[in-house]
Amino acid sequence: MFISTFITKVIGDKTQWRQYKARAKQLPPNYRTALEALERYLMYFGTGGDGTAIYADLLDLFEQSVENRTPIRKIVGEDPVEFIETFVRNYPKGQWILRERERLTTALAHAEAEEAKSV
Amino acid sequence: MSKQMTEMLKGTLEGIVLAILSVQPEYGYEITARLREMGFSDIAEGTVYALLVRVEQRGLVAVEKVPSEKGPPRKVYSLNAQGQAYLEEFWQTWRFLTERLARLQKGGR
Repeated sequence: MFISTFITKVIGDKTQWRQYKARAKQLPPNYRTALEALERYLMYFGTGGDGTAIYADLLDLFEQSVENRTPIRKIVGEDPVEFIETFVRNYPKGQWILRERERLTTALAHAEAEEAKSV
Repeated sequence: MSKQMTEMLKGTLEGIVLAILSVQPEYGYEITARLREMGFSDIAEGTVYALLVRVEQRGLVAVEKVPSEKGPPRKVYSLNAQGQAYLEEFWQTWRFLTERLARLQKGGR
């Protein structure tokens, strides 16, 4: 059961990934360079295991921008790092940081409860 | 755009975009164009796009996909009831802030 879900997930992701790559190839070279740079950054920064959704959405943005003739700088703004880090925050599914946030919140609540007891 | 302007806009852009959508439904690209007309000329397309992804996930807008001649289908965004309520809250907060700051600027408390 687990194995088959796992396989479906990986293969499904792989197909989506291939489709993404094929579409990305259609972009004009400069847009493609920009998208690949963002993609590379995401590989290091991590997308929290959200699969290909974030890449597909980024590609939508670039395809639209090609259609509307939006220059690269007008897509990502003056600070591309800030752009991509804000962007990735829209895809929090499965992010390890969610667990840690919960842990921090609970820990603080415990600390507060102990404080109330000692007063 | 100054650093200060960028920082202040971060907290208000969502409200601004929802206010634009409360007038009439718009394509994502048109929203950026509206912002430019309003004088927010340095806002990146991607910033607006990311914001639209976010308000869509939070259920503040209704999205309709319209096929385009070439390229991907284009999304038309419109404000739904939840977005309307959120926008109302945004204006309340805005009134509160501007009123307090105006008082502070005049030297009062």
